[in-house]
Amino acid sequence: MMYNFSFSSNGTKTAVAGWVFVLVLSATAFGQTKRPVKQPSRAPVSKAAPVKAVLPPDAPTVTLVDDLAFRKILVPNGKPLMINFWATWCGPCREEFPDLVKLDGEFKGKIDFITVSLDEQEELTAGVPKFLFEMKAKMPTYLLVTPDEEAAIAAVSKEWAGALPLTVIYDPKGAVAYFRQGKVKPEDVRIELNKLLTADGPVVTAVP
Amino acid sequence: MKLKIVVLFTLIAGFVFVLNPMAIDARGGLEIGATVENFSLADTDGAARSLNDLKGKNGTLVVWLSAQCPVVKGYKDRINEIAAAYRAKGIAFVGINSNATEDLNWVRSNKAEFGYNFPVLIDKGNVLADKWGASVTPEVYYLDAKNVLLYHGAIDNDRSGKNITEQYLKTAFDSSLAGKPIAKTRANAFGCTIKKTGESN
Repeated sequence: MMYNFSFSSNGTKTAVAGWVFVLVLSATAFGQTKRPVKQPSRAPVSKAAPVKAVLPPDAPTVTLVDDLAFRKILVPNGKPLMINFWATWCGPCREEFPDLVKLDGEFKGKIDFITVSLDEQEELTAGVPKFLFEMKAKMPTYLLVTPDEEAAIAAVSKEWAGALPLTVIYDPKGAVAYFRQGKVKPEDVRIELNKLLTADGPVVTAVP
Repeated sequence: MKLKIVVLFTLIAGFVFVLNPMAIDARGGLEIGATVENFSLADTDGAARSLNDLKGKNGTLVVWLSAQCPVVKGYKDRINEIAAAYRAKGIAFVGINSNATEDLNWVRSNKAEFGYNFPVLIDKGNVLADKWGASVTPEVYYLDAKNVLLYHGAIDNDRSGKNITEQYLKTAFDSSLAGKPIAKTRANAFGCTIKKTGESN
């Protein structure tokens, strides 16, 4: 879906009109199995474009992470940690998102669930929060920008070649408990998470 | 003493390699140095094409493609440019489509649309993808003239094409053509999942 945003002198008006247009389009597009995916453009994107203006005020905030910050969000904090890697340009990623939002609601408070977008940095305040808003997603979402994707992929799992979507669950000690390249099967995720949550006794941490 | 250790190490490495020519990597795919078996698949016109018939005198580049993956679309011009430049140097390009969700007509019209200047073969039932461990598009395998795997993975390190700092594939080609060892034989990058048969796409 391509939106024709114009940022002329009366940019705000145009942008508001654009957002209404987007809402109408989104409403009609819901329910279709194949939503057209926004294609990445190789044309230069104007940095001055006030993209934020088209977002509703309560759209989620997406956090930009570099390689170093990315390593930190991969570490579980006492609970199982589920991470979904996706992008707005990835069809199957968009298709499975309602399932992820549902899982997030079911396991809220029991696990940590975050998503990492591999969109272009321009989408940090545009396509990514817009999509999360449409999906009513509440998971903390990060956008990874690194010159060394190779290292980032390896940090997630040795089994991963970088294909999106990827959903990984780490146990509280950081070991991979679930690894799924392609759309998740929600029932498998539930089984895996329940297994982790009912594991015998509290998590034992090594004494230094 | 040092020489002895080096000789011993080389012998062990050679021995392990000879014993294990189809070694597999952590993801269940082909390992660098493995010799690939010949394969034959139908192209977009229905003709059977084999690796050994298609390969160039300096080797073959096998690239997994998808008609709908935006990352492949972003790479199509680069793929065509590299294919044209290195065909002149004796490296043949072969495209493979293993996506269960993309039928023959779609793959054929996509080949025309993207202007691929090399054959695209249909891997029905993702047999070859499973055998080689291919899981992402675009994903490349560079084989020498004896079908030994020299490089596997990403084309470069920036799918947008705007900030490329590592030309993994071209560097591998250039090293190999100059008779030098390839410094980086594996690299991953983000791309699309190959939609395999039996998966809920």
